[in-house]
Amino acid sequence: MLGMMPAMKFNNLLMTMLAVALLAGCVKHPLTAEEFRKAVPGAFMGEVESFEVSRSFRAVANTFKKRAPKCLDVRIKTVSQTNTSYQVIVTKYTPTVIVTKDRAELHVQQHHEQGVMKVSEMPEKGYYLIVADATPVGKNRTRIDLYRPSMGHDVMVKAIKGWATGKSKGCPDLAKN
Amino acid sequence: MNGWNAIFALAVLMLTGCSGIKPYPNELEKNLYLTVKVESGSMFSSVKASVDIYRVDLNCQTHYQGTVNLNNETAKVGIPASRPSYLVFNFSSSSFLANSSGSINYETVLTPRAGHIYDAEVNYVDDLYNVTTFERGKRGRHQVEDRSLSDCKGG
Repeated sequence: MLGMMPAMKFNNLLMTMLAVALLAGCVKHPLTAEEFRKAVPGAFMGEVESFEVSRSFRAVANTFKKRAPKCLDVRIKTVSQTNTSYQVIVTKYTPTVIVTKDRAELHVQQHHEQGVMKVSEMPEKGYYLIVADATPVGKNRTRIDLYRPSMGHDVMVKAIKGWATGKSKGCPDLAKN
Repeated sequence: MNGWNAIFALAVLMLTGCSGIKPYPNELEKNLYLTVKVESGSMFSSVKASVDIYRVDLNCQTHYQGTVNLNNETAKVGIPASRPSYLVFNFSSSSFLANSSGSINYETVLTPRAGHIYDAEVNYVDDLYNVTTFERGKRGRHQVEDRSLSDCKGG
């Protein structure tokens, strides 16, 4: 999948890139999901959002397993154009879903394949952008912990919340991030 | 004057033949009924939907057959029964204020059974998109499992 997103959205992209950089304190990006979880709470422009949904753990995990590969394994091309500049950024998003009996994890990583300089060591599939953990708290009750940027990527967050609550199975239009 | 004619001819070529996009012939018996709901969410932007239809051969190679623009709320399309078709739904958005545009695809493989009707609900609302397909036959109506081209096993 290839999308295009010029002009105004570029500011949002820059903000997100800044947020990802700041999540790790501009020193070192998290190289694993666990490092990302630890870095987000104390990071500028990082946020941990927790809530419970009235769905079984198995249902939430199955939705993550079905929707994440379908919706988040995408490559987006962004174009920023002014009178004096023209910039193309290609971003590959890669989801990973890990399900155990105690936890379902959804990791989203992003790799700028073109147009952005790599400033620190990057995990194989790209910098961590969002980690969503689902844990069972009752028969039909599941807790969701969302480690995310506090600004930007609202569409992706909305989609993941929809999958967790069961209210929406829609894919996020990542060209709108 | 000849120069302008050449430019005009080139423009027509680029807009039609050279763009690579062609209307889907849609000559087969209609077995895919599409219900389309597209909302951009803003009066300053618009979203257009279309579906590219590909034939999938025995080696899992795709062959472009044509495009159906989903401008209306419903559309009826005929795709070959008992053979896989690769459907690529495209949502193209544009913003008038930001002078920006973007597009994203939803891909699925559908192998219609003879004598069955397939209802596809195509939605793009609040920047979330989805396509859900149901099979209708003598035994009732049920949702069709989403299939990917990577599931195709050639040979």
